[in-house]
Amino acid sequence: MSIDIAAGEFFTLLGPSGCGKTTLLRAIAGFEPQDSGTITLGGRGLDGLAPHRRPVNTVFQSYAIFPHMTVAQNVAFALEMQRRTRREIAARVEEMLALVRLSGLHDRKPAQLSGGQQQRVALARALAAAPLLLLLDEPLSALDLKLRTEMRLELKRLQGETGITFIFVTHDQHEALTMSDRIAVMRDGQVLQLGTPEEIYERPTLRFVADFIGEANLLPARRIAPGRFAVSGQELAVAQDAPGEDVSLMLRPERASLAAAPTGQSLPGVVEQVVYDGADTTFHVALAEGVAVRVRMAHGTCPARRGDTVHVLADPAALRVVRNA
Amino acid sequence: MSGGQRGSFTLLAPAGLAIFAALLLPLSMLLLVSVMERNPNGGVVWGRFSLDAYASFLFERGFTGERELNWDYVAIFLRSVALAGLATVTSFAIALPTALWMAFQPPKRRLLLLFLITLPFWTNLLVRNYAWMLILRNDGLIEQALSWLGLLRLLPGGRLGILNTPAATAIGLAYSFLPYMLLPIYLSIEKIDRRLLEAAFDLGADRWRVLLRVVLPLSLPGIMGGVVLVFIPGLGAFISPELLGGGKTMMVGNLIQAQFGYGRNWPFGAALGFVLLALVLGASYLHRLRFREAR
Repeated sequence: MSIDIAAGEFFTLLGPSGCGKTTLLRAIAGFEPQDSGTITLGGRGLDGLAPHRRPVNTVFQSYAIFPHMTVAQNVAFALEMQRRTRREIAARVEEMLALVRLSGLHDRKPAQLSGGQQQRVALARALAAAPLLLLLDEPLSALDLKLRTEMRLELKRLQGETGITFIFVTHDQHEALTMSDRIAVMRDGQVLQLGTPEEIYERPTLRFVADFIGEANLLPARRIAPGRFAVSGQELAVAQDAPGEDVSLMLRPERASLAAAPTGQSLPGVVEQVVYDGADTTFHVALAEGVAVRVRMAHGTCPARRGDTVHVLADPAALRVVRNA
Repeated sequence: MSGGQRGSFTLLAPAGLAIFAALLLPLSMLLLVSVMERNPNGGVVWGRFSLDAYASFLFERGFTGERELNWDYVAIFLRSVALAGLATVTSFAIALPTALWMAFQPPKRRLLLLFLITLPFWTNLLVRNYAWMLILRNDGLIEQALSWLGLLRLLPGGRLGILNTPAATAIGLAYSFLPYMLLPIYLSIEKIDRRLLEAAFDLGADRWRVLLRVVLPLSLPGIMGGVVLVFIPGLGAFISPELLGGGKTMMVGNLIQAQFGYGRNWPFGAALGFVLLALVLGASYLHRLRFREAR
């Protein structure tokens, strides 16, 4: 496999734990020797280069902030390693702390900071030397939900303001979708699909990708004619025609809807469960042949109740053919 | 509330009792001994108070009975400080690289190395110092090795001549207390989060600067512990100066031992012990003051 990442891109490696995304990141940073293959950055080969000689900095999952140094000393570290002048360092530290909104906390020790603040120190420290490439190893996983949502926007803003290329590793598809310019979905050391968040979400090519990103109904299907598939005893039209034997049809819950009467493009079933979710309501519908489908509709738009017989409408454009393997 | 407090006192009682029996009781007895009159046959004359023992640290009585300043004992104290200091520096210079190397071995090998380091404790310190006599003496292991290498000619007099010198004492002290330097340093280095080292490398530090800027500052507690554990017992050591220094380079430990032994001056021995204790406590107090300022 080969990945090209453009300068200034926010690129995400997404996959379940153990898929090799962190290993790939560590290989780029220089901590993991490569068995084969090459890594180049801005036309320069990085293979065999020691970590401290690479114009690459990392934000570690655990932050790895130096506990014996103040906030300012942490941020200044990379600059001191480059033997910049004292004045230059002081100015740059000031600039970095302002960038991550920690101005005034210079002399705090890391132990006196909250998790979110430590995160910002780690970011400022890694960005201070203006690396060509910033690697982020699940940097948000230790934060609580609210802070995490906030930091997503913050990271995106930082990336825009600095123009530095980000490679972001995460197992959280939501993070990946909201921040990335492009996503590589990985499993077992392989990149399964690479594309923009929209491509990955709307047009997955593999069952695994469809299932891993967002919520998906994956319906066992059999192709009977170009653009026509048999699903749980019915025949459905699909806008995309993909050949292949071992395939499923993907239907996102929010792209399906329920109706009282059948149409030419619907599947009959019985409502098994109605789950109220604030803005939306999710209906769990049992179809024929033991197939279960979730349908999510805006709250109050569908009166169906548990035990009702309904018809799941699936627009041809809402259905995607995905390979099972 | 008061019941809970009484409960915690009860819980503290065994530890308090142990500290009293093992530390405070002997120390108070020694303090009593130091302010009694000397019994020339050994021991003290109980009930007859005298501060002669403390006075004789700085003054001796001349023929006519008047007090004269005597720097001999101060010189012994200074020599002890110098030799213990030298031993501390030497053992640190050996312990730091060793501890660094050990801390980065695979876990199984680390256990083996730790075992090897504690191995000397299984034999008597006296025996080990005798062994060093065999190594350091003329015609000993080192001299023979030097002569085989043809380097012996370069030494003054063509002999090693190191045994029965202060240098031999320092070597003996450094050797005797090396594990006490090594273990705390090793433990504090081993405890350092490896991800901090990776972060330092990642931010552009080479090995040397990772060591100076991250490893050393973070292992400072262990280094301080090692320094205290080597320097203070080193001050009071008496086996190495006796055997390797040839008894010529007397240290405080030998002086104290002599007072309780053939000197038969228990009050003076006890007083010397308290002067030493006061020095150590004073030094650690000053160190704490400085340390607090630095924070």
